[in-house]
Amino acid sequence: MFRSTGKKGNYAYTSARVKAKKSKLLREEDYNKMLMMSVPEISHYISDAGYSREIADLATRHSGLDLLEYATYANMAKAFRSILLASTGELYDMVLAYLTKWDFWNLKVVLRGKSYGLAADQIREDLVPAGKLQEDSLNKLLAAGTIEDTLAVFSAMAHVHFPTEILNSYKDTHSLGDIEDYLVKVYYKNLLELFGTDTRPSLIFRNYIRSEIDVLNLETVLKLKAGGILGEAGMKYYVPGGIEIDEKLMLQMLTAPDMKTLEGSVAQIQIAADIKGVLPTNPTMQEIVAAMKQYEIGLANSVAHMYPLSVIPVFDYMIHKENEVGNIRMIARGTESGLDRETMKTLLVM
Amino acid sequence: MAAHDITPTRSVLLELKKKIKLSQSGYKIMKMKRDGLIIEFFEVLEKARAMRAGVASDFQAAMKKITIARAVDGEIAVRSAAYALQNYPTVKLSSKSIMGMMVPKVEAESIHTSIVNKGYGVIETSAYIEDAAAAFEKLLETLVRAAEVETTMKKLLDEIERTKRRVNALEFKIIPELKDSERFVKFRLEEMERENTTRLKHLKKKGAAAE
Repeated sequence: MFRSTGKKGNYAYTSARVKAKKSKLLREEDYNKMLMMSVPEISHYISDAGYSREIADLATRHSGLDLLEYATYANMAKAFRSILLASTGELYDMVLAYLTKWDFWNLKVVLRGKSYGLAADQIREDLVPAGKLQEDSLNKLLAAGTIEDTLAVFSAMAHVHFPTEILNSYKDTHSLGDIEDYLVKVYYKNLLELFGTDTRPSLIFRNYIRSEIDVLNLETVLKLKAGGILGEAGMKYYVPGGIEIDEKLMLQMLTAPDMKTLEGSVAQIQIAADIKGVLPTNPTMQEIVAAMKQYEIGLANSVAHMYPLSVIPVFDYMIHKENEVGNIRMIARGTESGLDRETMKTLLVM
Repeated sequence: MAAHDITPTRSVLLELKKKIKLSQSGYKIMKMKRDGLIIEFFEVLEKARAMRAGVASDFQAAMKKITIARAVDGEIAVRSAAYALQNYPTVKLSSKSIMGMMVPKVEAESIHTSIVNKGYGVIETSAYIEDAAAAFEKLLETLVRAAEVETTMKKLLDEIERTKRRVNALEFKIIPELKDSERFVKFRLEEMERENTTRLKHLKKKGAAAE
């Protein structure tokens, strides 16, 4: 999917730009302040923190929490776009590969909207053009008639090949599940192919991606267990490439008849040891997932200051920007819905 | 029907006696039905109370979970996951009889959908959305059962009211009126009997005087 340009990237320039952007990100104390605010106050606060243009632009079409959500996504898309345009050579390839997740996200939104029968304009509202595909390309996706046509258009634009069994599975069941799961696997496969072990920064980021895959696989096991799916049937959802969770361990976890046995299998891996300290006794799935998200950001923080003139600061910024958008949305929606502060604090990823 | 409007004949008296007997046995059965319905109502009431509490707690839990899902994953992700759903819950309606009264029987079909059959990807759909979906499925199931119990309770109340009115009508109007009529007919027949006897005696006396 990604062909490297072969040229070395402009690491120094992009890292300097990213460093300036990172200094503007909200910090823990900002989130603590926002937790005490009402929604209009939060809107005002984030306007001062760099979201004012997007809020003003979208204010004619949206209001309240929706405005806040769309504005934060638009701001993030703009920030990522500027990084992508500023980078060159192999750095550009790597940033592009990372941002493909937003292309996949948009494809999912389009497919789901179309399968429900929504009009193109309604679907367009929910798109986040933070990846390679910009407005024109997304419009082409929206203009495609059927799900099959949409996949064909996407395939041509993003160079993603959809195997016949995935397409047949959709034809037979009209379920988007297999397509969506395939996209996740393709995304991580491409990232791991692009981030080799040749340089230390690349290896560090590769390991971060592999840990992310472990977290994803662990979350999949928890979801499948909660849904009563045990054993071999769950292996379809295994994403290869993780550091600790290989196929054998995944199957072992999936075949565990109860949570106690699962705990025994999970105990072997580092994530479990690291999150155990922050979890209460008998944690809920939500608490485990929240702890895993904290673990992921902790992992990103631990390598953030290594190799300042490499790919690491760029990805560190993008990860933190995504978290910032998630945190703002979480605080605003949580405040509006009367969620208690303690729950919101658990859900904040800092 | 006023007692004095009826023709005091033996056949009418027999008819009235039959009606009184029928009304009294009807009254007895209606009273038993009313008492039975009241007992049934209190049982259903207990169920409805528990069900209402269940609906309230399930609703709170589901709303909290959807709030968390919307907060963590965003409105777009939650809405988009909902668009991908393939199965829609259906409700099967039939009826059952309680003491001769037909009450609805509501059964929910295909409310719980396995995570792998929901229509969206398993890997990336967040655990928060999945948790919220499960909570809403549970709420829907409770609501369907509550709908059955609540409707049964309302129908029972209507039936109790109707039966009570019938029992009261029988006890305080129909049976007393019939008894009044019976008394009137009996009295009139006795009187006619006495008149006849007197007439006969008079005729006999007249006959004897003529001889």
